[in-house]
Amino acid sequence: MSEIAIGIDLGTSNSCVAVMQNGKVEVLPNAYGEATTASVVAFREDGGINVGNAAKANIIHCPDRTVHSSKRLIGRYFFSQEVKKAQAICSYQIIEAENHGLRIQVGEECFSLPEIAAMILSEMKSIAEARIGQPVTKAVIAVPAYFNDNQRQATKDAGRIAGLEVLRILNEPTAAALSYGFGRGLSQRVAVWDLGGGTFDISVLEIGDDVFEVLSTAGDTFLGGEDFDDRLIDLLADEFAVRTGINLRNDPFALEKLKVAAEGAKKGLSLESEVEIRIPDVITDENGESHSIERSLTSIEYAALVNDLVQTTFKVCDEALQQAGVVARDLDGVMLVGGPTRLPLIRDTVREYFQQEPREGIDPDRVVAMGAAIHAASLVSPDQEAYLLDVTPLSLRIGIVGGLAEKVIERNTPVPIEQTRTFTTFKDGQESVEIKVFQGESQEAEDNELLGQFSFADFDKGARGEVEIDVTFEINTDGIVSVTATDRATGRAASTRITLSSGLSEDELDDIIDQGRTDRIEQTPVLDENDHVIGAIPLKSIPADTPVIFEETRASKTKLLDDDSDLIEEGDILPLDEAPAVPEAAPVTAAPAEGPTGESGEAPQLKSEPSAFDLSEKTAQVNSSDPDEIAAFSGNFAEKAVDPIAISTEDEGDELDLIDLDDDAEDLDLLGGDDEDDLGGPILELGRDAELADTEPVMTKDELFETPGTDLSALDDDSEEPR
Amino acid sequence: MPEMAPTEIKALARIIDELDYYQLLHLKPNASPRDVKLAFHSTSRVFHPDANRHLDSDLRSAVGDIAKRVTEAYQVLRDARRRGAYDDQLGSGGGSRIRLAEALTAGSRQDTETRQGRTPQGRQYFNLANLDAKRGDWAAAARQLQTALTFEPDNEFFKSELKAAREKAR
Ligand SMILES: Nc1ncnc2c1ncn2[C@@H]1O[C@H](COP(=O)(O)OP(=O)(O)OP(=O)(O)O)[C@@H](O)[C@H]1O
Ligand SMILES: [Mg+2]
Repeated sequence: MSEIAIGIDLGTSNSCVAVMQNGKVEVLPNAYGEATTASVVAFREDGGINVGNAAKANIIHCPDRTVHSSKRLIGRYFFSQEVKKAQAICSYQIIEAENHGLRIQVGEECFSLPEIAAMILSEMKSIAEARIGQPVTKAVIAVPAYFNDNQRQATKDAGRIAGLEVLRILNEPTAAALSYGFGRGLSQRVAVWDLGGGTFDISVLEIGDDVFEVLSTAGDTFLGGEDFDDRLIDLLADEFAVRTGINLRNDPFALEKLKVAAEGAKKGLSLESEVEIRIPDVITDENGESHSIERSLTSIEYAALVNDLVQTTFKVCDEALQQAGVVARDLDGVMLVGGPTRLPLIRDTVREYFQQEPREGIDPDRVVAMGAAIHAASLVSPDQEAYLLDVTPLSLRIGIVGGLAEKVIERNTPVPIEQTRTFTTFKDGQESVEIKVFQGESQEAEDNELLGQFSFADFDKGARGEVEIDVTFEINTDGIVSVTATDRATGRAASTRITLSSGLSEDELDDIIDQGRTDRIEQTPVLDENDHVIGAIPLKSIPADTPVIFEETRASKTKLLDDDSDLIEEGDILPLDEAPAVPEAAPVTAAPAEGPTGESGEAPQLKSEPSAFDLSEKTAQVNSSDPDEIAAFSGNFAEKAVDPIAISTEDEGDELDLIDLDDDAEDLDLLGGDDEDDLGGPILELGRDAELADTEPVMTKDELFETPGTDLSALDDDSEEPR
Repeated sequence: MPEMAPTEIKALARIIDELDYYQLLHLKPNASPRDVKLAFHSTSRVFHPDANRHLDSDLRSAVGDIAKRVTEAYQVLRDARRRGAYDDQLGSGGGSRIRLAEALTAGSRQDTETRQGRTPQGRQYFNLANLDAKRGDWAAAARQLQTALTFEPDNEFFKSELKAAREKAR
């Protein structure tokens, strides 16, 4: 039996696991037969842990013990804007930890973000093991392309805690493109537009035969369907406050109900142009009076609510296209990935922006996991069938004098890559240099993400400007950064190698692994591998309140992209009346206003069913569309010569004008005052010296011998201010 | 590009600093951007870390070093400005490697020259204009730019800056 490696899409809202065996990619459904599993971890009072949709259903009962959307927090600093935003929305406790890190506190226990992610990964691993019938230890984990090094590192740590060897951290859009183009011998330039629950990514790729070359990527790691929900929550809460004077935001239970309703309404709007929002007993006031919310919402109203969020994605697209050196009409295709792309409002605006129909036949929930699985399989197989040439999403910078961060590796540079820069001391006899590494697009150090810092002292001391320290930056194929410092004079082998990380230390990781808290995850008995009744639900394992189950079950009946998959059968539909486990009292609903079953007297949470069924049927149709049809779609690209692509980097404004360092003697002449730079120079140099006096001990030689007169930004409004 | 024997890989890794980017990617100096891309793809098929996971760690790190250099070569040669700067460097007997950030700056130096001024006096008054602008004295900046333009009447960049300064001065 060949070695097994799985692909995991660890999403903000939902996770999905897939495997490729014998040339076929299969999404592995969980015990309930659902293709995706909610990325929610519930900590029960009795110490047990639930992961998935059961946990998600728990939110409205124990908001403070149910951790959702944790991907929004992974790899972040406690002081970051994103953490503040999350704190405002989440009912669980986010607390500060050492080194500006953060933890989630549940009762007496604290969990690091990698550990929470590990619980989800662990669940996905068990799902895979149950379906495949053998242990799984290797995985490719997909992350948003725009994830920085801290986030990637933390995700990798999560894999380790979950007992997985992480073969690769793969960018989600790249994974999607892989599952779309793998083995099809295409020659296309495509954009992958991925709006998930919590993140937005856009990547422009060239798919050619066996090579997948990413031309550019851009994104926003705090923009997704959940932000859409927040807009609606705000609206509902504000209206409620006006009507009753009660602020629902102060009540975690009410807030969670709003959240469920907001998400339901959004989903309803992907099928209908108007939905009815009903939240019976959203709160009971101090007089014991129960209040409800009932309101209809049209897609036009909704579009207005979220319009600026949608527009933000297109600003990001502008950037990606510009970086790739292409315009929208050059693209042979646009792929839509992520749950919110089911909204007509999204499809319409995307179509308009790219001036073309998005590709059909792509399952927005599964392509990422499938792509990760394809890559995982290729990483454990002897022959390489596809080469992924990816890029780094963010510029890598080093901190220099004056609170600046100088670019060493530009964003959208292909990986793996290595660059070395030479630095010098700025005081006579200086004992050590402090090396700070950043990621981001600003020349101001503090506006970038700090990846890490370390002190290097292993060099022969010398006069100011005499010592030469080579700092080597490397970004590997996971997009993970490492930095090495070497004294050039001695060529001293004893260089400092650090893997930058704001997150967990080796020791902390070992501790967490030893504690084995992931073992507390309650395993759901999984159906027999040969049991094709994917829609069936093992009754006893379903928690009392599980409104989400149904919706997700439907999704699982969509046929896999792989047409002859035997895992899921067309007829595998769970009759509604066989669903005793569905909550008796469904607290929250969002149903299409004119839902066909509106009067059927079924439990209210079932009202949105028919539309959703429609959806999965549609998807199934497209998915099963015949390969020739898809090929026809792709067109004849041999004729459409792909233009050579020049990466234009229109940002000289933020580049320092560097002097060639190769010849030191020359540089020193410059310091003495090259006649070419006689004017204006002294003034700026003075300014620089004043700056130097009270600051950082490191500077580049280029800084030290800086050519004066490069400061254009004072007149040039829109360039970054160099200094 | 043919498969490589372990000894060849090690040999290549050893001499990699002596190869220029064209040699590394098996390209002629006049290679078109399309050639550059195809060369990057075919070299990647040989040296991409994914394709060499099965090698022992020594060889793997040799391949890794080559792979990083291949990407570097591609990043320089794919971009006209970087490639121009690199060609200049090669032409003047400079090293076979160029730092990416510097290649970009050097590549835009010509650009920068127009931006800073091509004549000593042009530069002088442009720098003065910069200082005035920094102080927020846009009227003074405009005057300096006007003078700078008398030395370089066809400097489009000065012209546009002058226009901007005048607008701000109002
Ligand atoms: N039919 C639908 N219409 C609108 N939105 C939907 C629909 N189905 C799911 N969503 C929304 O999609 C989001 C989840 O999408 P998805 O599962 O692609 O995200 P994810 O992969 O978990 O997150 P990310 O990729 O950002 O980490 C949620 O906000 C969910 O409410
Ligand atoms: Mg996703």
